[in-house]
Amino acid sequence: MTNAYKIIDHTYDVVIVGAGGAGLRATLGMAAQGLSTACITKVFPTRSHTVAAQGGMSASLGNMGEDHWNWHMYDTIKGSDWLGDQDAIEYMCREAVPAVIELEHFGVPFSRTEEGKIYQRPFGGMTTNFGEGTAQRTCAAADRTGHAILHTLYQQSLKHHAEFYIEHFAIDLIMVDGECKGVISLDLATGELHRYQAHTVVLATGGCGRTYFSATSAHTCTGDGNAMVLRAGLPLQDMEFVQFHPTGIYGAGVLITEGVRGEGGYLTNNDGERFMERYAPNAKDLASRDVVSRSMTMEINGGRGVGPDNDHCFLNLMHLGNDVIEKRLPGIAESARIFAGVDVNKEPIPVLPTVHYNMGGIPTNYHGEVVTLKDGDPDTVVPGLMAIGEAACVSVHGANRLGSNSLLDIVVFGRAAALRAAETIKPGSAHKPLKPEDSAPALDHLDRIRNASGATGTAQIRDTMQRTMQKHAAVFRTGESLEQGLEKMRNVVDSFDDVRVEDKNLIWNTDLVETLELENLLHQAQTIIYGANNRPESRGAHARDDFEDRDDANWMKHTLAWTDERANVTVDYRPVHMYTLTDDCEVIPPKKRVY
Amino acid sequence: MAEFRLPSNSIIGPGKHFPAPEGATNTRTVKVYRYDPDSGKNPHIDSYEVDMDSCGPMVLDAILKIKNEMDSTLTFRRSCREGICGSCAMNIDGGNTLACTMAIADIEGDITIYPLPHQPVVKDLVSDLTNFYAQYASVEPWIKSDTPAPPDRERLQSPEDREKLDGAYECILCACCSTSCPSYWWNSDRFLGPAALLASYRWLADTRDDATGDRLDELEDPFKLYRCHTIMNCATVCPKGLNPAKAIAETKKMLVQRRG
Amino acid sequence: MSNLRSPLSQVKGHGSAKEGTSHFWIQRLTAIAMIPLVLWLAFSVASLPGMSQVDIRNWLSAPFTAVMMITLLLSGFYHAKLGLQMVIEDYVGNHGLRTIAVIASTMLCVFLAILGVFSVMRIAFTA
Repeated sequence: MTNAYKIIDHTYDVVIVGAGGAGLRATLGMAAQGLSTACITKVFPTRSHTVAAQGGMSASLGNMGEDHWNWHMYDTIKGSDWLGDQDAIEYMCREAVPAVIELEHFGVPFSRTEEGKIYQRPFGGMTTNFGEGTAQRTCAAADRTGHAILHTLYQQSLKHHAEFYIEHFAIDLIMVDGECKGVISLDLATGELHRYQAHTVVLATGGCGRTYFSATSAHTCTGDGNAMVLRAGLPLQDMEFVQFHPTGIYGAGVLITEGVRGEGGYLTNNDGERFMERYAPNAKDLASRDVVSRSMTMEINGGRGVGPDNDHCFLNLMHLGNDVIEKRLPGIAESARIFAGVDVNKEPIPVLPTVHYNMGGIPTNYHGEVVTLKDGDPDTVVPGLMAIGEAACVSVHGANRLGSNSLLDIVVFGRAAALRAAETIKPGSAHKPLKPEDSAPALDHLDRIRNASGATGTAQIRDTMQRTMQKHAAVFRTGESLEQGLEKMRNVVDSFDDVRVEDKNLIWNTDLVETLELENLLHQAQTIIYGANNRPESRGAHARDDFEDRDDANWMKHTLAWTDERANVTVDYRPVHMYTLTDDCEVIPPKKRVY
Repeated sequence: MAEFRLPSNSIIGPGKHFPAPEGATNTRTVKVYRYDPDSGKNPHIDSYEVDMDSCGPMVLDAILKIKNEMDSTLTFRRSCREGICGSCAMNIDGGNTLACTMAIADIEGDITIYPLPHQPVVKDLVSDLTNFYAQYASVEPWIKSDTPAPPDRERLQSPEDREKLDGAYECILCACCSTSCPSYWWNSDRFLGPAALLASYRWLADTRDDATGDRLDELEDPFKLYRCHTIMNCATVCPKGLNPAKAIAETKKMLVQRRG
Repeated sequence: MSNLRSPLSQVKGHGSAKEGTSHFWIQRLTAIAMIPLVLWLAFSVASLPGMSQVDIRNWLSAPFTAVMMITLLLSGFYHAKLGLQMVIEDYVGNHGLRTIAVIASTMLCVFLAILGVFSVMRIAFTA
């Protein structure tokens, strides 16, 4: 029952899907290099979730003490629990310095030191001299760094006259013989479909935090690009690695930046004890996020949580004083007041580890080109397709991302993608005409969901999925619980056959969009929980109670996960890149990870 | 003349009532403006009795609950749910604000929700902000500097100079201020409105920007800038606690001062 | 109804008129000037020996009074002209009507100002 949709055709050199930090950096870079560029986004660019990033962006500027990108690289590899690709990590840490300086030149209102340089604060897992001291490496604009960067990047895009398609929901990639030829989107305002033909499509669609019940992620963080890749028959990588941020506000799930601990805040349990001193004697509250989240969970499970149900912890910053709070953490004071009813000058903030970031995503090389395992070659580039930002798995974060490495990731790889596109695409070169059947799968997909007339509401299925994931793929995982989770998720996926879209109109049909998003989430949730059950070791954010140690001999490899139409998962593997890009640094061999 | 009556196609009719689920004892009535562009019918007000015992504390929680459990056709924008993305700006209990940071407990009686005032309505609570965004773009809100930036390091800026940007750069473009300003209602075709003028001031106040003179030239206009009559609605409603009126006053001061 | 001009083009419109600061500034200056002038008027009238036409004519014919009165009239009607223009531009949506109303209010203010000044001068020079 295919409806005759009105389709508007476009041709561009490049099309970027997503207008968060990575998407905007790529968009303005490509526009500035003379490529005809369009950016499709389902929300107005400054509403993308980059805007909520608080603490800052790491770069070894050395403004607040000696620093070197080699040390940053070491910290990132250690933080990744040796699952990160070391060539990509070298590239990111080396390019961090020019990237942050470029942002300053774009006009980002960074906080300043007395000498007028960019202010840098300590962050979890960031050390000097290969783990010896504490590094002040995270460049900050108060506690609104993401906001400052995102707005500045949008302003730069306006300056470069980049073309935006705002409030367009991307439905599917157009794939022809394993090559990406473009993308199809739904214009929410009119209900019309747009077909973009491009030499390269860049996915910058972010993570899928909303697979879980309690996440710091926005409602719009549904990993649509990841799901489009799965539907295109390509794999996602390392999806089992989901970061829990130690300090989401209890109940609301709203993020409280790690910068609070960077500025001297600390966590306490029911006895008022600074328990992180026990778990991480050196780094204490500034251990990496997976370590702190696990420690908090152990305190709570040990009956030492705070509150009437002993089910959360306290984050204390009263001792920092009004001045530091007002200058460095004004947004935190506001969030705590609104969402926890707490005056941070007088009381601690109730916090709980909350789903925050997907280390996994679309596998790419350090240019941003999507790769896949094909005919035994794990680095086969998929022609015409790039991925950047949280959507991508380069992999620079491996099994656990360090705080403030994600704003860095989006800017560095957004820029890298723009440079690569300028290298590989001749501006204005001709397109081979598309055949109608090339976009048929996307139209059938949309039509199927739009006319879904079962009996179960989208919200109901989504709720079951989120609660299942929250319960069975949490901070600590066991084989038994994961098996149960897999079974439940199978039922949830099957229940999607009975989904109902109430709103049948095409103008601003959020019922339809939420259902498309739910389908996207379901496939990603499957790759997460399947991958978690499939990996019998503990590494970074993936902590198995039944396999407490890291198993480098068998599992120092990336998981690749494909899904079929029924969201059944199959896996294979890619080796971790244990080599560097240049001779300016050495490979960091695996060792025990203590903070 | 100023219009004192709604055009006939905007007059609001009665809508549907959605009763509370059985067994709910603690309910609040939420009245929501509904407009369906596909039907071509006049807008109406639907009322929903929401069970507060299973509802989060914010107005956004209530409308999400309505969409999830009572009426999935209800249409609104939302994203971050923590007051930083600016998506869920709407008129709640008579004032413009973000649904995600507005506590239900702070509202007495029924909770009335309308789209942002004086903007074309696309559907339900979704208004068309095209003109608002174009006004933002028209002030060229990006750094303009003919002074070459140092090649290998940041431009320097003293903490005191950086402090001048506080209260100006934190705007989230939610449009609560502009759409609450009577001057903007009357002359939004020519008056830039508080949000765009705040964005402009953010660059006037930035010591790294070289284009202060050009920016002031562009603003010096009876309508673009001088429609602000310090009514102060902008500062009253701003969900981020900013004061666009003060930024506008500072801009006027700069214009007067450069004359002598 | 549909407007096919691009939103940015509509917003940019005719660009900047490069004026408005004088209007803003003079409106404030005349407002400030009115404070002592109106106070002076109130006190002077209150302290008059009587309110007959002769009393008023005598008072108004003094050079200082006449100069103060002319200043008050000029400042007052200038302020009124600026203020009326602002109000009309705010409330009158129709651009044709707006232009006519601004011209009419300006002419009225100018006429009333001239009338007032002429009257004061006539009294001052004929008393």
